[in-house]
Amino acid sequence: MSSRTGTDTDVVVIGGGSTGCGIARDLAMRGVDVTLVEKGNLTHGTTGRMHGLLHSGGRYAVSDQQSARECIEETRILEDIASHCVEKTGGLFVQLDEDDDAYYEEKLQGCRDCDIPAEELTAEQAHEIEPYLTSDVKRAIKVPDGAIDPFRLCVANAADAERHGGRVETHAPVTDLLVEEIRAEYVVNATGAWAGRVGEMAGLDIEVRPSKGVMTVMNVRQVDTVVNRCKPKGDADIIVPHETTCILGTTDVEVDDPDEYPEEQWEVDLMIDELSALVPILEDARTIRSYWGVRPLYEPPDTGTTDPTDITRQFFLLDHAERDDVGGMTSIVGGKFTTYRLMAERITDHVCEQLGIDRECTTADEPLPGSEDAGVLDDYMDAYGLRSPIAKRSTKRLGSKADEVLETDDPNPVLCTCEAVTRAELRDAIDHSGTDLNAARIRTRASMGNCQGGFCCHRMAYELSPEYDERAVRESLDELYQERWKGQRHALWGEQLSQAMLNHALHATTMNRDRDPANDEEPGIEYGAFDAGPGPDAEADRSATAAADGRVRSDGGVSDDEKDSSENGGTGKQEESTRGDQ
Amino acid sequence: MRVTPRGFDTEFDPAQVFDDPTEMDLRPGADNCYKCSTCDTSCPVAEVDDDFPGPKFQGPEQWRLKKGDDRDIDPSITDCSNCMRCDNVCPSSVPLSQMHNTARGEYVEGQAPSLWSAEDALADGEFREALSYLRGVPSELSIEFVRNRVLSNYGTMAGLGSEVPRLTNLVMGSRVTKWVNDRFFGITAERDFPEFATQTFREWWRERGGPKVESADKRVAYFHGDYSNYNTPEVAKAMVRVYEFFGYEVRVPTQRCSGTPMFANGMLRDARRAAAVNISNLSDFVDRGYDVIASCTSCSMALGQEYPELFDIEGTQEVSTHTYEALEYLRIHEDLEDELRDADVEFPDLAYHAPCHARNQGLDRQAVELFGELDSLEVEDVGDSCSGISGTYGWKTEKYDTSMQIGEEMFEHMHDATGETGLTECPTCAMQMGHGTGYEIRHPLEVVEAALVDQ
Repeated sequence: MSSRTGTDTDVVVIGGGSTGCGIARDLAMRGVDVTLVEKGNLTHGTTGRMHGLLHSGGRYAVSDQQSARECIEETRILEDIASHCVEKTGGLFVQLDEDDDAYYEEKLQGCRDCDIPAEELTAEQAHEIEPYLTSDVKRAIKVPDGAIDPFRLCVANAADAERHGGRVETHAPVTDLLVEEIRAEYVVNATGAWAGRVGEMAGLDIEVRPSKGVMTVMNVRQVDTVVNRCKPKGDADIIVPHETTCILGTTDVEVDDPDEYPEEQWEVDLMIDELSALVPILEDARTIRSYWGVRPLYEPPDTGTTDPTDITRQFFLLDHAERDDVGGMTSIVGGKFTTYRLMAERITDHVCEQLGIDRECTTADEPLPGSEDAGVLDDYMDAYGLRSPIAKRSTKRLGSKADEVLETDDPNPVLCTCEAVTRAELRDAIDHSGTDLNAARIRTRASMGNCQGGFCCHRMAYELSPEYDERAVRESLDELYQERWKGQRHALWGEQLSQAMLNHALHATTMNRDRDPANDEEPGIEYGAFDAGPGPDAEADRSATAAADGRVRSDGGVSDDEKDSSENGGTGKQEESTRGDQ
Repeated sequence: MRVTPRGFDTEFDPAQVFDDPTEMDLRPGADNCYKCSTCDTSCPVAEVDDDFPGPKFQGPEQWRLKKGDDRDIDPSITDCSNCMRCDNVCPSSVPLSQMHNTARGEYVEGQAPSLWSAEDALADGEFREALSYLRGVPSELSIEFVRNRVLSNYGTMAGLGSEVPRLTNLVMGSRVTKWVNDRFFGITAERDFPEFATQTFREWWRERGGPKVESADKRVAYFHGDYSNYNTPEVAKAMVRVYEFFGYEVRVPTQRCSGTPMFANGMLRDARRAAAVNISNLSDFVDRGYDVIASCTSCSMALGQEYPELFDIEGTQEVSTHTYEALEYLRIHEDLEDELRDADVEFPDLAYHAPCHARNQGLDRQAVELFGELDSLEVEDVGDSCSGISGTYGWKTEKYDTSMQIGEEMFEHMHDATGETGLTECPTCAMQMGHGTGYEIRHPLEVVEAALVDQ
């Protein structure tokens, strides 16, 4: 109960994306009693489906200079306060022979107008930075674009909100704004593309214009800097290096419903076909999955823009008291990931004003949990007994938490070999996310590599035991495996098709997860009799059964492989997973 | 749905920005890996060493985890023996050996940059500068580096040693030398250093006056490699006699080591220098209608596969496509089976071991198939295990035990075979076979020579 008002909390923030988490952190840091509610896990909506680009502002330097200026300022701040989520890759705007000179000049001038450091490169210099660029490069502009992990950033914001006394409730859908479960003095609607839905509950008309965009994940990094095609707005014009992968993007198509919209193959094909002109090796490169995100675009009523690419990327704060005579609620719409902190600051200022609180915003100065001590990152060599690429990746992800998480006396095998995630790192994630393995996934990247969980989903699930019971473990495993399968459906050719087949064979056949009798409500197998061991009658057959046991080991430890074979996997929702796999 | 099977191409062009092979970006090669682990199950080192993470980690996983500018390769790359079995068994054409060779090169560069700088300075006559580079380098590191350098440049050492072969054999065979080598340089005292022949193959060739047969259309350039020049000239001589028996004009181009031991030790700078000499000389012969023949399967592997994987030297591809192993070439162009069928040969029964590098070239059955035709001798394949020595690997004090553990299966099978003489194409497999069993080890060309050529 809030001491101020007799409600449960002073402020409820709806939406666990970047903006919502940022607002919760800001409010909590200013001493406001805040509760964040999110219908799925954190980043469930648009944030978890963004491109991973930390904008220098270069992309908006011609069309939307105010956004461009905000971007470069916020990028500088995030490089500072969220260093463990950011990779300073740099970015290129690449002009090909066929591209317009005038636009290139405009772009260069625009960057300079917005104080975005922009360096002109010859084709040769551009190739030195990115050898896989096409030979048709004419010249390029280098800008301080970066890559950011939206998952870790959100989680860090939420964690910091909690550290300052806020509450974060995931898997808590808002069903009605007048429900009795959480009473609040003030409500912030930070649901982005879903803002209209939440508005409806309060009888408000919020004109968000959700617009979908596809992102296609490549198996490896063909480029190590953000590569933009330097031409006016268009689909499929950017490649962002993200962790071990590259993400190609994107399209911009308005949709009616942010939850239900078609995911079309032409969009994926377009990414590969168009961007191969920029980086030809993409033509035959392996795609591991594709996903779609919905932009929370908003334009003030009566602007009348028809093409979603023309809708501004600026954000809008809608105070429903002023606008609709509905007190106690403000919505924040529009905007973009890179400026999430600024949006949070503005709305927190507004909320504080409403609540009569006079506290300065400090979110631009206080580092997020994990980024407190930048020095730690350089100190991973020989640490924690891990092989060097594993130590490097893991330390980067954990930032200043690395010591606390990775220093362990227990065996610390690598569970996800694609993304170099160890048992210690995964267990730390599970400590915070419980049985939701997708939440553990976004904290660690486990199961996000080229096998898409085929070789590690079950290892991850195993870590839930014995804390959680068998049924919960099986359900978590199914949920994760299904989520991984979902994205791969858009990449089923070439190597990823082979991968999907191998994964299916391992899970359905080797682990018998599609027909596991343990999934039957009333198992026909007498496990009790089996577990009790052979009776005196069976003594004679002992030598014959011992070999089938397969669990004899010399060192007394449990190796990964043995864990794999001893763990049955299994599907609680048998039909569904079988259907999904076809 | 996309119907064109994208990504079924197994080839990709790595971006090579500079001449230096350690600058190569092989990350796209990881696209082919679907993690089936077949490579790990065929790795002889992983089989005996639980701490070795195996080829899947060393290759596609480690490359995929790299960023463009990362230079820190995990030290376990030096535990790979470069048998290249993983390369051969991968069902999805992951360029494993290319990845391993390149990573090993990067590792050695990263470990010893000041040692290389010192060498460059020495080459320029700047002794003081060279010394300044060496200060601060831990002595274990410099000793290991020097040892690996010496081992991988066997030809240079052998060239010196065979100037005075009897003296060298005496010195290298002495217990004191072995003890010093083991204690101070990390070269195992368990093995007997191979003896130098009193006359090298090239000396013999000069004395003989070069080729005895000339031909306008059957012409081969012989890549003998260092070992059959300095240590087993009888193999090289057998090659010449057999080829001349079939009417080939044999030429012996000036050559340096194929580079195999340099690849295995990450000495890619040395390998590149040697390769440049070999490619330049051999491509001259190829241009004039000669095919390149090697009697050592690792040499033919280097010329045929590793050169084009690692170097962008002009003529590499040309030499690669014209390189063959000696028996392979004869089996393609001559009716060797027919010739051997009625031959009467005096040769002991044989226990044949197929070298890993022969296996990689699809040559692992040829000796057994061929000599199966001979009634007068029995030849048995001792199985598909690795001999374990892998060139210089088994010569290192810290790798000796691993090497012998890997070889155990082969030793056992050799003992079980009827023959008490070993047979193999690879000189270092021969060392290991001899070391583990005490047998004398022969080369298939010697059998063919005994069967067909009147001496």
